[in-house]
Amino acid sequence: MKLTRLRLEQFQQFRTPLEITHLDPGLNLFVGPNESGKSTLVRAIRAAFFERHQTNSVAHLKPWDDSAAAPTVALAFDWQGRHWTLDKRFLHQPRCDLQADGEAYTGSAADDRLARLLGYEFPGRGASKAEHRGIPGLLWVEQGAVQNMRDPVDHAREHLQTALGQALEEGVAEKEAEEQGADNANADNPGADNSGTDNISSALGNALGHVASTTGDALIARVEKARGKLLTPTGKTTGDYRQAEQDCARLAEELDTLDRQVDAYRDQVDRLGELQRQRREIDAHRPWQAQQQRADDTRRQLDAVHARQQDQHREQREHDACRRQQTLYRQQLQDLDHQARQLEQRRADTRQAQQHLDQRKAGDDAIRQRLQRARADYRHAERALDAARRHAHRRTLEAEQQNLADQATRLNDALADARRLAATLDELTREHQAQHLDPDALRRLQHIEAERDKLAIQQQAIATRLAYRLEDGRQLTLNDQPLSGQGEQELLAAAELRIPGVGQLTVTPGGGDVADLARRQQRHTAERDALLQQLGVASLTDADTRAARADDLDRRRQRERAQLKGLAPRGLDALAGEHRRIEQRREQLSQELSQELSQEQPQERSQELTNTETEKELQSDAAPLDEDAARAALATADERLKAAEHADIAHREALSLAGQALATAEAEWQRQHDALQAPGRRQRHDDAQNALTDLQARADALADSLARRQREIDAADPDGLAQDLARYTRAAEALQRQADTRQHEIHELHIRLETQGAQGLEEQRDAARQQHRDRQRRRDELQRRARALELLLQLLKEQRQAVTRRLQAPLQRHLDHYLKRLFPGAELSVDAHLQPQTLIRPGASRAERDDLEALSYGAREQMGLISRLAYADLLRQAGRPTLIILDDALVHCDRARREQMKRILFDAARRHQILLFTCHPEHWHDLGAAPRELPALKLAPAPEGADPRAT
Amino acid sequence: MPRFLHTADWQIGRQYARFETEDATALAEARFAAVERLAEVATAEAVDAVLVAGDLFDAQTLGDRTLHRTFQAMSGYTGPWLMLPGNHDAALAESIWHRARRIGAIPPNAHLLSEPEPLELESAGSVILPAPLTQRQTPQDLTAWLDTANTADDRLRIGLAHGSVEGQLPEALDATNAIATNPIAADRAATARLDYLALGDWHGLKQIDARTWYSGTPEPDRFKDNGAGQALCVDIDRPGAAPRVTPIAIGRHAWHQWQRHLTVASDLDALLAELDALPAMSVLDLTLTGELDLAGRERLDRALGAAAGRHRSLQTHRDALALTPTADDIAALHADGYVGNVIHELQQRQTQGDPDADTARHALGLLAGLLRDQPGQEGQP
Repeated sequence: MKLTRLRLEQFQQFRTPLEITHLDPGLNLFVGPNESGKSTLVRAIRAAFFERHQTNSVAHLKPWDDSAAAPTVALAFDWQGRHWTLDKRFLHQPRCDLQADGEAYTGSAADDRLARLLGYEFPGRGASKAEHRGIPGLLWVEQGAVQNMRDPVDHAREHLQTALGQALEEGVAEKEAEEQGADNANADNPGADNSGTDNISSALGNALGHVASTTGDALIARVEKARGKLLTPTGKTTGDYRQAEQDCARLAEELDTLDRQVDAYRDQVDRLGELQRQRREIDAHRPWQAQQQRADDTRRQLDAVHARQQDQHREQREHDACRRQQTLYRQQLQDLDHQARQLEQRRADTRQAQQHLDQRKAGDDAIRQRLQRARADYRHAERALDAARRHAHRRTLEAEQQNLADQATRLNDALADARRLAATLDELTREHQAQHLDPDALRRLQHIEAERDKLAIQQQAIATRLAYRLEDGRQLTLNDQPLSGQGEQELLAAAELRIPGVGQLTVTPGGGDVADLARRQQRHTAERDALLQQLGVASLTDADTRAARADDLDRRRQRERAQLKGLAPRGLDALAGEHRRIEQRREQLSQELSQELSQEQPQERSQELTNTETEKELQSDAAPLDEDAARAALATADERLKAAEHADIAHREALSLAGQALATAEAEWQRQHDALQAPGRRQRHDDAQNALTDLQARADALADSLARRQREIDAADPDGLAQDLARYTRAAEALQRQADTRQHEIHELHIRLETQGAQGLEEQRDAARQQHRDRQRRRDELQRRARALELLLQLLKEQRQAVTRRLQAPLQRHLDHYLKRLFPGAELSVDAHLQPQTLIRPGASRAERDDLEALSYGAREQMGLISRLAYADLLRQAGRPTLIILDDALVHCDRARREQMKRILFDAARRHQILLFTCHPEHWHDLGAAPRELPALKLAPAPEGADPRAT
Repeated sequence: MPRFLHTADWQIGRQYARFETEDATALAEARFAAVERLAEVATAEAVDAVLVAGDLFDAQTLGDRTLHRTFQAMSGYTGPWLMLPGNHDAALAESIWHRARRIGAIPPNAHLLSEPEPLELESAGSVILPAPLTQRQTPQDLTAWLDTANTADDRLRIGLAHGSVEGQLPEALDATNAIATNPIAADRAATARLDYLALGDWHGLKQIDARTWYSGTPEPDRFKDNGAGQALCVDIDRPGAAPRVTPIAIGRHAWHQWQRHLTVASDLDALLAELDALPAMSVLDLTLTGELDLAGRERLDRALGAAAGRHRSLQTHRDALALTPTADDIAALHADGYVGNVIHELQQRQTQGDPDADTARHALGLLAGLLRDQPGQEGQP
């Protein structure tokens, strides 16, 4: 369907008629800013189709200030080789005329024919709504609505499905034709399969109208519901099925328990039977009695052996006693022999002790001499030490005396010097005092003199100068002093110049200062004179000389004093005192020393007298020893003395011990000797000898008897008998106990079995088995049902999916056609409701899948347009009219995508007429269509033939 | 003229787990009813004694109520009941008999023959020579002692035993009772000079020789067409005379096991006719093979529903019966589009020996049901 011409009148902002002619069969681009009438144009087209001509709900189409207006739309289009014109007027005298070659409709008939033609519906009453708009609703896109797909597709679905059905049928027909061709070519291909395929194909063909709608889906829902009662979505059992399974497991367990109980019961019955048999066959014969009999026999034998063993013990004891007695007698005899041998020994011991004592006594003298010598040495060493000490003391005193003498001499000299210095100092002091001036007065004097000099200079400065040059011979007197020649006088006070022959001139210097100065001079002079007098000098020079002299004296005095201080720091008297003390000490020491000497001499002499023996030794080393050596010698002597004393003591002790030993030995010998000589000893010896012989005979007899009896006992084997006894006894006991136990067990089993028998175990078990089988049957039944439902559901879904895929294939093909230009390799999936759903793009590692809703606005817009173009292709293929109107589409495209979209649009325009309205002409200048400017169209007067593009 | 009623294998207390609980209970009840009928018959026929050749009870431990009911059911005959312990109720150290005696269930006219010793039956001029089982299984022939048992010449010698007569019975007569256990010599009646040897253990009616009979169980409990459900009335004129043995029907439920193959529509017709002809209160086990279309399946379901009401128990096995909807079936179900594909697929799976064939058949049945019940399949958008 191609629009060729469009005319508006009294239509919103187009108050005057607007006509657009020569519309391109492909792309038509309308540009203009906002409010320039693009949307009005679109609205007019929509109104021309969607609204019934006689509707009152289109008042908004009138120009806003013209209530009497009758909006009119006229358009012409070509469709299936025929030319159609539509003329439609609303509100005032509404009308509608539709004409084609040989066909003419007016009024509602025209409206309806148009709706049928394009594939939309009218509302029952009122304005057309989105859900009525069918195919145009999908392909005519309002401003900013390209990305909205869901509702428009829903509203157009019926038309789309019909179109798809046609496409599919064509496809199937083609395929069948191909297959038939193949069959013909290949004759051995059995035709049996073919009939089935035909069957399905035709069934499928019939179902096309229903396939994506409710019949099959409702069936699936019911199967799912039925399955849901038995299985969870993850395939686990639930509801009755689960209950039946649990019951089965529980009952199986119960059954198992009962089975085990029955088995246990049977085992017990068998056990009881066995026990009863044993009781009958074994216990009835009382087998333990035989064992008891054997035990008794053995016990008797054992008793006999025991009696013999006791005899054996008794005799053994007797034999042992014999042996002990023998030993005693032998001991006695040995003792007697021993005594004789001991006497000899004692004698030898005594001799040895005597010898020992003698040896000790022989060493006596040497020991004593050694002691005496040691004592003498010690005494000598003592004295030597004493002498050394005294000698040392004297040396000390002598040294001190010498020292003191030196000090005295030194002090004496110092004292003399000091006295001399002191005299000098006195002299100087006296002289200094004579020359001394009061320094203040002197300074005052100096000051006064300086002041006077200053005053004199001032007087001169301000004095009236009287210069004169007198002729020779002439004379003047000034203040009675003659002046002659030439000169100059300074007049400080009024002066009288007498010029001889002339008179007298009184010159009085000007100003009070002269007088003042003179007065001050006067005062100073007076003061100076007073000071001079006070100081007792004639002049200042004189005073200065005296002061210098005094200073010189003072310095000398200080020097002398320092010298004196060096000699006698604490003064002369102290020095003298010290000298005196030293002298006194010297005196004292001399006395001490002389006393010492006087003492030493007599002592030495007395020693000489008392010990002449050692005199020589003393003389020989008369040189006084040094004290340390003497002390060491004494220590040595002391040690020697101690050693000698110890030796002496030891010797004495040894001597005493030897003496004692001798005494003891002699006593022993005596005792032994006495014993040997005692009476009856011989008799005792003989008695012992005889007893010993008797005892030996008795012991031999006993040993024989013992050996004999032991053989008898061994032959009887008492251990074996004892074991036999134990064995027989135990066997008897065991047999009896076994019988008792058996009896007891039989009794117990009886009671237990009676109790258990009352429970009717097997009946219970059979009942449980019955129940278990029942539940198993139920479970198996449910299991079969669940499996069947599962299979059914799976098959239904698979088949449905397969059919859906086949149905969508043509649409998919068209989509791919466009999509590949925008996203190479991408895929846009379409759901069962023919809604585009997921965009699958090849990614770096794996495909990216994005739901349409999740894409960016721009991408959704592009997908929206692509999908619409694909639908248009589909519809066109099905022979439906397609016209695509895009009002300000793709405003969110970036440049690159817009470039691709332009290619896509250009391509689509080869099959469909496209009207594109935009307020961005710069975006679309290379679309391949000449833009028409809305404002220009509006201004153009009479539309007929005014189009510059008219060809 | 001595007359006995010979019966055996009551198997009181047996449960039938393979049946639905309700049916199983009824079948267990039927065994008491059989005993009551035996008592009636014994009274009606005025027999001198009832010989019960073992296995009165199915197990050694049954509830007291069951024991009481059993002996109660015997109360219709006041003559002597001579009861032999069989392998199921052997006279063990502790047995069902001890229990029955302990609770005082055994009436004075019921005699337990628990010892291998002769019992004088004065009233019938007979000596009863029992061979009781004191173990569940024994490899010896317990009837051996009968050869040497001495009796007065004017007495009938009546043997009573429980076990397998050697070389006479088909194999595996009892799952729990293998051949060569509890054997009985085939010529025992001759070697022991017996006038009659009443045997138990084989549940069908069987004559071994002129004097040796198995009476079979009075109420059938297996799908075996071997004369189960009867008792024997035995008349013996005098010692040495040949016994006259008359079977008397006792059982209530006939047990049938059918295997039928369905291929064409007439096969189904024949089966339905056969079902109709079956006496009421039967126990039927039906195995179907072959194939069936949806319409046939419906007919079969209806017929089986009716039969289930008429009989004691009806069990059908249809695993090998394929469901093959015809094109008409599919059209009738309006199973167009992919649903038709699913039907086709399920059909394929059944016929190609798929391990899931049973599941597929079931699924197909479900699908057919769903489609048939589909609400307003025609006008639905």
